[in-house]
Amino acid sequence: MIGKDKLFTLIEKAMEASRADQTEVVVAGSSSGLTRFANSYIHQNVAVDDVKIYFRVAVGKKLGTASCNSLKLTDLKRAQRIATQIAKRQKENPDFDGFAKPGNYATTDTFDEKTSRFKPRQRASKLKRVFKKGEKYDYSMAGAFSTGDGEIAVLNSNGVRCYQNFSSASINVIASGENSSGYAAGISSRIDDVDIPGFAAIAVKKCRMSRDPKELEPGKYDVILEPAAIAEVFEWLNFVAFGSKAYEDQTSFLYGRIGEQVAGENVTIYDDALETGNEGLPFDFEGVPKKRVDFIKNGKAEGVVHNLISAKKAGMESTGHGLPPELAAEGALPLNIRMAAGNQSSDELIAGVEDGLLVTRFHYLNGLLDPRQALMTGMTRDGLFRIKNGKVKHGLKNLRFTESMMDAFKNVTGISNERTAVASWWGSLGSMYVPTLRIKEFNFSGKTDF
Amino acid sequence: MKDKLLEVIDHLRSKGIDYADARYVSIESESIDVKDMQVDAMVHDINQGVGIRVIADGAWGFAATSILTAGSLRKTANIALQVAKASAMTKKEDVRLAETEIHKGTYSTKYDVDPFSIKPKQKIDLLLKANRVLKRKKAIHLAESILRFNRTKKIFVSSEGAEIEQDFIESGGGYAVTAADGSEVQRRSYPNSFGGDFACAGYEFIESLNLVENAERIREEAIALLTAPPMPSGEADLVIDGSQMALQVHESCGHPTELDRVLGTEISLAGGSFMTTDKLNELKYGSDIVNIYADATVEGGLGSFGFDDEGVEAQRTPIVENGMFVGYLSSRETAPVVDRRSSGAMRAQSWQHIPLIRMTNHNLEPGEWELDDLIADTNGGYFVETNKSWSIDDRRLNFQFGLEIAWKIENGKRGQIFKNPLYTGMTPKFWNGCDAICNRNHWHIWGVPNCGKGEPMQVMHVAHGTAPARFRNVEAGVSK
Repeated sequence: MIGKDKLFTLIEKAMEASRADQTEVVVAGSSSGLTRFANSYIHQNVAVDDVKIYFRVAVGKKLGTASCNSLKLTDLKRAQRIATQIAKRQKENPDFDGFAKPGNYATTDTFDEKTSRFKPRQRASKLKRVFKKGEKYDYSMAGAFSTGDGEIAVLNSNGVRCYQNFSSASINVIASGENSSGYAAGISSRIDDVDIPGFAAIAVKKCRMSRDPKELEPGKYDVILEPAAIAEVFEWLNFVAFGSKAYEDQTSFLYGRIGEQVAGENVTIYDDALETGNEGLPFDFEGVPKKRVDFIKNGKAEGVVHNLISAKKAGMESTGHGLPPELAAEGALPLNIRMAAGNQSSDELIAGVEDGLLVTRFHYLNGLLDPRQALMTGMTRDGLFRIKNGKVKHGLKNLRFTESMMDAFKNVTGISNERTAVASWWGSLGSMYVPTLRIKEFNFSGKTDF
Repeated sequence: MKDKLLEVIDHLRSKGIDYADARYVSIESESIDVKDMQVDAMVHDINQGVGIRVIADGAWGFAATSILTAGSLRKTANIALQVAKASAMTKKEDVRLAETEIHKGTYSTKYDVDPFSIKPKQKIDLLLKANRVLKRKKAIHLAESILRFNRTKKIFVSSEGAEIEQDFIESGGGYAVTAADGSEVQRRSYPNSFGGDFACAGYEFIESLNLVENAERIREEAIALLTAPPMPSGEADLVIDGSQMALQVHESCGHPTELDRVLGTEISLAGGSFMTTDKLNELKYGSDIVNIYADATVEGGLGSFGFDDEGVEAQRTPIVENGMFVGYLSSRETAPVVDRRSSGAMRAQSWQHIPLIRMTNHNLEPGEWELDDLIADTNGGYFVETNKSWSIDDRRLNFQFGLEIAWKIENGKRGQIFKNPLYTGMTPKFWNGCDAICNRNHWHIWGVPNCGKGEPMQVMHVAHGTAPARFRNVEAGVSK
């Protein structure tokens, strides 16, 4: 890590040379180690240091962006000069009202020294224990184990000076047998909070429970969706429903339905980077303080997230969900999706299913079939089980679902009181925090051979 | 830079490594996004660094840095060595690489017009002109168009003596138009969805796309979809357009023939493959007219190059011949498992990524039909065009694709339009139902700039040469 003081000094020096009316700089640096394993040995093992510096400048209402991955002052000044040249050749953006003003930023706990310093040898030692768990049943263990740290800084000519360092540890484990597999995963900013042998044990247990899977015809079934499965759904809703672009484009299922009941009263889905215990960045990539945004509250559609420009278009204030400048065309997106917990344990949810299925995770979801209806499709994998009379009975061959999430959210009959952090596209700073759900009459439309 | 890389290799040799390579990559990119009549984003980026791959104690290590001083590179090489020694703690056997010819060579994309020499105003004006046509009707809620350009330099050296320099130019773009009437929202894209079409070519490729000339047709199709009925469910004969055929090949033949997936090393994220080694030369993958080649040598393809990121020369590899499954995409490490040499398919997204087995230009060979004749011969079926959604199981058997538009084939011609078309199937059954492929007049290499694989995710640029093709008795229109 470069560190706050050194970074601010360097970037401020580069900003002094700016000839634009306004200048904004975002720095995103990371030092990460990732160990991939398969067939119960390490087959890929990497250590990468990188930093990216974005200059976004305004000449009047014209915006230009340029970036580089060099911290040499000459390269920084060059990127800034290119950004200014682009801005001068640009059309005016009527929705640009200036970069962010300094705000009141919350303090979030996102860094752990031990995790930051975790070494490849330490990862290998932990993985030896994972492989040991599979040996007993001759299961092949596969997955990825990463540790690392990073830092984000946002500075602008209005006086914004934001900085946050963070660390991350995550693992996913698949145990594979002759005709079955099991999965478990975890993520935290602290390595000590990631129970690696525990996840390996769950993966092995699921692999054993799902061996010799039976075939089941597609149809409507009551389902238990475990956190990894529901997080896959949220990952897609992130893009097709909860972001500012989907709403502006009128493709979000929330569009035109704000204030309407779009889900059961027990469903509350929101974004909150400041929630204790699973915290993210307290500011966005425009230097705006993060706010909690409810997408669905007690079943009613509430709204979507915004950055400075999308907020101006919508006649609102930024909610602090601006992305790095290279993703500007995506609008604002939530990075910290959560679903409110319910009041039953996961075992109690299963006990309430007379005849249904338990889904460990989905594979290759797609939410673009009909986004206005939040229609999605995807496959189950690594542990699909039949539940009979409140008990998990046996494994099943995988099924394809095709279902409107609007319908599914109306059919939620139970939500667990425990929630789990699940890795998302933004790593530890953007992990989701989700419960297990029980949903009635979930639609499975196809099947496969394994 | 090459001298610095050679110094790193010398440094690693002195440490007693089994093998090492060092790869410098510099990517300059320009992206322009125009939304309605405004420039939504215009971004210029320069990204460079060095990735160092080492085999020591019989195991792999990799480290990468963006700091390019000699001291930093030496430090990064030492880290790669430490990482390899950590990997060795769990090894079952030593990593061995298949023999390959050691090259000292160069390669460059052929192009007429350097896209970085074209002024931004000219590029913006082209997109604004297209958007102006797209926005001309009230029912059009949104017009989005983009252009993308990359200039990439790669230098590769290895402890075996390889010294390779390659220069690439990539150009691409397209648009999508969204029609909305309050309750219904429909989208059409040109020349393909998710950004358009891409090639290893200069600005002449953008001009060849005829973006403005096609805007009116695409706009009218989007509007027509607002009032179109949904595609009926049931078995149907489908004529699938070239761009969707590209994705069909990609998902159901490209990914399952990556030998690393087959051997289980990508199982944690992307999954495995039903095309296991016992099926090589045994599986009737498709009908007799199905011939698929992985061809990195074809000019202009987004998956074309001179040498892969292990220094193996670009090749044309048979994957499916006369319907039989005959070959894999492979690397120097994996190829010996099937008693072959590397197919030259190892590529990394950039300097900070390790090479993985990736598709090159995974091409379905053209057949004999003219498109009009094929449509005329498919009465009662549907012509479907432009991908909207994609999903396939983790062994690449059960797939489901959504498309933007379908036409019922009536009286030998495209008739009524249907919205939200969708088809599903099992890979070998589907490909064995292929009974007609259009000829070279309709064959085009579609650039796919967003192929994801690996952890951390690497987005690779690949391509598929395809023509429209007919498939019998496909389960179509399946929805909730």
